[in-house]
Amino acid sequence: MTTQSLDRPAERRHFGELMGKPWAGVAMLLVFYIVLLAAFSILSPWFLSFNNMMSIGTNMAFIGLMAAAGTPLIIAGGLDLSVAAIAGLAGVIVALLNAAGVPIWGGVVVALFIGAGIGLLNGALATGLKMNPLIVTLGMMSIVSGLALVLTGGLSRPLFDPSFNWLGSGRFLEVPVPLILMLIVFAILWWLMRFSRFGRHLYASGGNAEASRLIGVPVARTQIILYVISGLSGAVAGILLSATLGAAAPTAASDHLLTVIAAIILGGTSLFGGRGSVWGTLLAVLILGTLNNGLTLMDVSSFWQDVTRGVVLLLAVALDIVRTRAAGE
Amino acid sequence: MRGVWKSFGSVAVLRDVALTAATGEIVGLLGSNGAGKSTLVKILSGAYSADKGEIAIDGEAVRIDGPRSAIAHGVGLLPQELSVHNDLTVAENIFLGDLPMRRLLGLPAVDRAEMARRAGTVLKQLGFDHIDPGRLVLSLSVPEKRVVEIARAVAGDARILIMDEPTAALTDQEAKSLFQVLRRLSDQGVSVIYISHYLDEVFEICDRIEVLRDGVNAGSFATETSDHDAVLSAMLGGAVEQLYPEHGAATGETLLAVEGLSVDGLLTDVGFSMAKGEIFGVFGLVGSGVESLGRAIYGALGPLDGGSLTIAGRPYRPRNPRAAKAAGIAFVAAERKQEGIVADLTLRENLSLPFLDRFGSALRVDVGAEKAHARHWIEALGIRARGPEQRIRFLSGGNQQKVCIARWLVEGMALLILEEPTRGVDVGARKEIYRELRTLADQGLGILVLSSDVEEIAGIADRAIVLDRGQVVGRSETPEEPETLMAMAFHEAASPDAAQEARA
Repeated sequence: MTTQSLDRPAERRHFGELMGKPWAGVAMLLVFYIVLLAAFSILSPWFLSFNNMMSIGTNMAFIGLMAAAGTPLIIAGGLDLSVAAIAGLAGVIVALLNAAGVPIWGGVVVALFIGAGIGLLNGALATGLKMNPLIVTLGMMSIVSGLALVLTGGLSRPLFDPSFNWLGSGRFLEVPVPLILMLIVFAILWWLMRFSRFGRHLYASGGNAEASRLIGVPVARTQIILYVISGLSGAVAGILLSATLGAAAPTAASDHLLTVIAAIILGGTSLFGGRGSVWGTLLAVLILGTLNNGLTLMDVSSFWQDVTRGVVLLLAVALDIVRTRAAGE
Repeated sequence: MRGVWKSFGSVAVLRDVALTAATGEIVGLLGSNGAGKSTLVKILSGAYSADKGEIAIDGEAVRIDGPRSAIAHGVGLLPQELSVHNDLTVAENIFLGDLPMRRLLGLPAVDRAEMARRAGTVLKQLGFDHIDPGRLVLSLSVPEKRVVEIARAVAGDARILIMDEPTAALTDQEAKSLFQVLRRLSDQGVSVIYISHYLDEVFEICDRIEVLRDGVNAGSFATETSDHDAVLSAMLGGAVEQLYPEHGAATGETLLAVEGLSVDGLLTDVGFSMAKGEIFGVFGLVGSGVESLGRAIYGALGPLDGGSLTIAGRPYRPRNPRAAKAAGIAFVAAERKQEGIVADLTLRENLSLPFLDRFGSALRVDVGAEKAHARHWIEALGIRARGPEQRIRFLSGGNQQKVCIARWLVEGMALLILEEPTRGVDVGARKEIYRELRTLADQGLGILVLSSDVEEIAGIADRAIVLDRGQVVGRSETPEEPETLMAMAFHEAASPDAAQEARA
């Protein structure tokens, strides 16, 4: 994208132009992240260690997975509020099937299919019946989290299987497995969104669905695929979470829905579609995770952490609006 | 306004521009896109501030430093897009900025009776007293909504009314009734600054025309004593060549044959056939079906309720845009912003979007090839842009339209359907677009132009049909004068035979 600057006269590259660069928003997040790292390193002696960094990664991996898949969906004009509920249900399904004698990996496959199936249903309702995605997935969230409670009676189910638990707490070359999985998903989505035809279609669908439909862009198909990916990411996140915890709790993931959405918005994705990137979301996930971790190390109560997270989100969105104004859009 | 200068960054948009309007005078403000018209009126209405220059109203120098101070000085702006609130009543819309109040049980409350009475007075002043002030604006027609906007400005004691393309969404008759309102206002001493692309209209309603070109005054014309050509050459900065290219002689084999095409509630039994290499026109007033026929053929309305079509001899059934594309049919919609461009994408991305599968593979779009493609069309069509990577929202309407047409120009396309191809496009770009369409037709493409602008159809089409109430009410086998086409649209609704006679 930097080729843009080549055909502009040098005198016009003032502040507004700089702010108008496609990467300006992500660059601002990166600066913020580095400032945050520096601040916590000074404030807490334990913060800047390899193990602490890795534990931030593990803690954020399942949120990151859902936020990664949610980003292209929102860019394409959709929204998935049911993703965290799907995570809860996925863990429950693995645990219940395992208790009933189904091999654990068989349960995992079933959970993945159910996650994808719920995504497909979301997509079909949102695009086929043209229902508002907010309403569709809000309803689905209620149904799915309700089902998870019904299936378990609201209780956590233990899930012990060494190979399965390795998914959640194992390490590969010293790096936690969930973190690796999350980064792989980010990398794949980045490639798809940046280079593939599908990626172009999703930006076009979210930018102007009617114009895209009229020139033959498969808008509905693109959105449905993204709903399926989002449902799938919910299932993977739920499986990782239950592997980390050694138990499937029906409501363990649903508290984190707001964090997932906050990360996507903080990352600069427009809720109205058409604009955003997974790098922004990744940085936002790291920022939220670092904030959480650093404040915990400094003995700040988790109630105050909620307050801080909200302030950061509002500040970031306000800054982004100031930035786009400066870019003269 | 005198000696007005304004720059954005290092680009001077206005250089020492003057604009005057006498009390009760209607002044037309003309200029190609980018000439500085909208910047000038935005300064007058307080949306921008000038770098230099003075504004005087009734001989007194005033400082306008925001929309509120503009309104306080009696300057009212009516933007191109309607700015009424549909879910409020007419009276509420008119007095929204300054609601009449009274005390109810000691508390302030809106005085509805007083508001309705005053709204009635203002509407009567405009000659529209048949509009009930208590009606929801939702239920009004587009020109009536315009009148509500005008009433709002008048109720706020506007002395100067700025109107930007007020007739863009109006039929001729509706425009006429709007003009009556403007004349009344002018009689009452309100000055009007009128921006429009339609020369005829400007000549009809304005007392005087101010032309801007490249940010400077390029001439002032009294409409009584000047003609279109003088104004056009001032706008374009040189001798005006003809707006429309020469007509072609369509003798090619049949490209598209339509029989008995019907869409419930929109089109009834429409039939025509057009040849390869022909520009075929469909003229109709707004609401005649002219806005549906292109979509119906393209499949954008879904399957038809009746009719059979063939394209290049093969049967074709409209189902959806993808099927049409596969059959070699392209479509450029009238509403560019809503249905044409994807504003956040670049020129390059907008251009390659319909045929992205021709650039690289599914997993890797070939950006290099896309750029080369974009550069080719930027040059071939004279698209004014910084380059392929400029976001399309920053291009002018005419240049966006060129992109919307160019993106269909690939191997295998046979028919190009264009809806209102030059709506909101300045004269310079219009001419270039018409010429390009003729070139494409000469290369063998069939071009179907649907328009409610009668001069456009008369100027560009080799043959044409005229629609009214969803039916064909006139046919012309040769290029036709605008008056003839208009007569068909107005009078011969019942019998196509009469249209034949009218032409003979």
